[in-house]
Amino acid sequence: MALIDVVNLSKAFGPKVVLSNVNLQVQEGESLVVLGGSGTGKTVLLRNIMGLLTPDSGHVAIEGKIIAQLKRDELFKVRQSIGMCFQMAALFDSMTVFENVAFGLRRHLDITEDEIQARVDECLSLVGMKGTDKLKPAELSGGMKRRVGFARAIALKPKILLFDEPTTGLDPVMTDVIGRVILDLKHELGVTTITITHDLKSAFEIADRIALLFRGECLACEPPADFKVNPHPVIQQFLRGDAEGPFLQDPPPPKRKPKEVQS
Amino acid sequence: MVLTFIDKTGATVLAALDTAGDFATLAGRTFAAIFKRPFDGKNLMNQFQAVGVHSLPVVILTSVAVSMVFAVQLAFGFRQFQAEGLAAQVEGLAIVRELGPVITGLMLSGRIGSAMAAELGTMQVTEQIDALECLATDPIHYLFVPRFLASIVVVPLLTVVSIYVGFWGGYLILVGVEGQSAFVYSHEFYKLLAFRDLRIALYKALVFGMIIALVGCWKGYRTQGGAEGVGNAPTSSVVTSSLWILISDFFLTKLLLV
Repeated sequence: MALIDVVNLSKAFGPKVVLSNVNLQVQEGESLVVLGGSGTGKTVLLRNIMGLLTPDSGHVAIEGKIIAQLKRDELFKVRQSIGMCFQMAALFDSMTVFENVAFGLRRHLDITEDEIQARVDECLSLVGMKGTDKLKPAELSGGMKRRVGFARAIALKPKILLFDEPTTGLDPVMTDVIGRVILDLKHELGVTTITITHDLKSAFEIADRIALLFRGECLACEPPADFKVNPHPVIQQFLRGDAEGPFLQDPPPPKRKPKEVQS
Repeated sequence: MVLTFIDKTGATVLAALDTAGDFATLAGRTFAAIFKRPFDGKNLMNQFQAVGVHSLPVVILTSVAVSMVFAVQLAFGFRQFQAEGLAAQVEGLAIVRELGPVITGLMLSGRIGSAMAAELGTMQVTEQIDALECLATDPIHYLFVPRFLASIVVVPLLTVVSIYVGFWGGYLILVGVEGQSAFVYSHEFYKLLAFRDLRIALYKALVFGMIIALVGCWKGYRTQGGAEGVGNAPTSSVVTSSLWILISDFFLTKLLLV
């Protein structure tokens, strides 16, 4: 049985169909990367997995439990086994870094302050943010916020980690740092991960399998080597990063030739 | 033409019922979450400070100003009939029964209701409320309940402060300016009042506290649309809660004075 089972998942907002009969299975310990253009429903997929949205049809099951059918208390129990890393970190801005990471520990575990301190230090070390525990989120850069968000997500030792575009808006160096942190977390914690990203370099480093969402449908879900040579024109266009092709609904603006430098 | 009108009216009524149902559901969930665990004492104390201690100056200043201007009007009005002695009695009645709770309610809806809407609205659009959900924490329990409890305790307490300050505001005008006897003023202020009047004032303040917290949190929790939504939430919260404070004041007065 797959740890995460997405079955015929469909979701629409008004007339706009965002996900249409998406099927994905993620096995325990596996790392799935979901690629796709903006607005193709990648975040909606994660929000359905977390139970933040209810599917129009189909379902998401975690360890066989159908998320949309769970009572609120049961849903919270399942959520304790999932760590969610938000695109813009979503840190509690009234709290310090320490309080953010300790939040789940204080709410759900009956442990002493010393144990909380030790666990927070451990989580911050794993993401390379040790010594920042007294800072407020406003004092952190974008990359630092994401890493504190990772630390908060792993504090309760979840089985599953979900990353929602962890590198969007970061410079290439910080993108590489975040990619390495995700790889470290994957190897050191042995968790099952789903990562949504536009960054192909880190996608191929992180992934055991890569899926591509296109106009609400899952075009492919296969190992990186197979994905690279998949002949589907949309996949090949996405990998080339080229504006010409079937990927865009509206035709792109014409490509201008660069001005010749006058000698 | 007629069909369009009926269609639009129907849509408006349905939207209004939908909004009322949403508010009632969240209010019900707040009541149900009060006794749930874990109890977050630190969070509650922070809210007591934000709602209570920080609201004290604004309640004192508005209560002094309103009671003074009311005393000026009463002194002027009763002088027309050579009945200046009644001014202190009516001042007492008005401050305890109406001005104390209503002024406190309206000022706090502007100060704390709007702050709650802005804070929760910002949390909503920056996905902090989703983060709470993902950390297996009920936002109603974590965000609504402490604000609700702080509000229903603090608004009655600040109403008592407002009444006390109102007494001295009237004293300043009627004794200090109009030259009435301090002893007579102190005696006359309470002459028309019974303990029931203070009880009514506290009941009203309790209901106003509920309205302020629930409307402020509800408007913030339902914020959509980024910066514009966050900007609209406090305004909408103040207008809605002020309206409901005044409407409920009428019905509470009719009900409790019977």
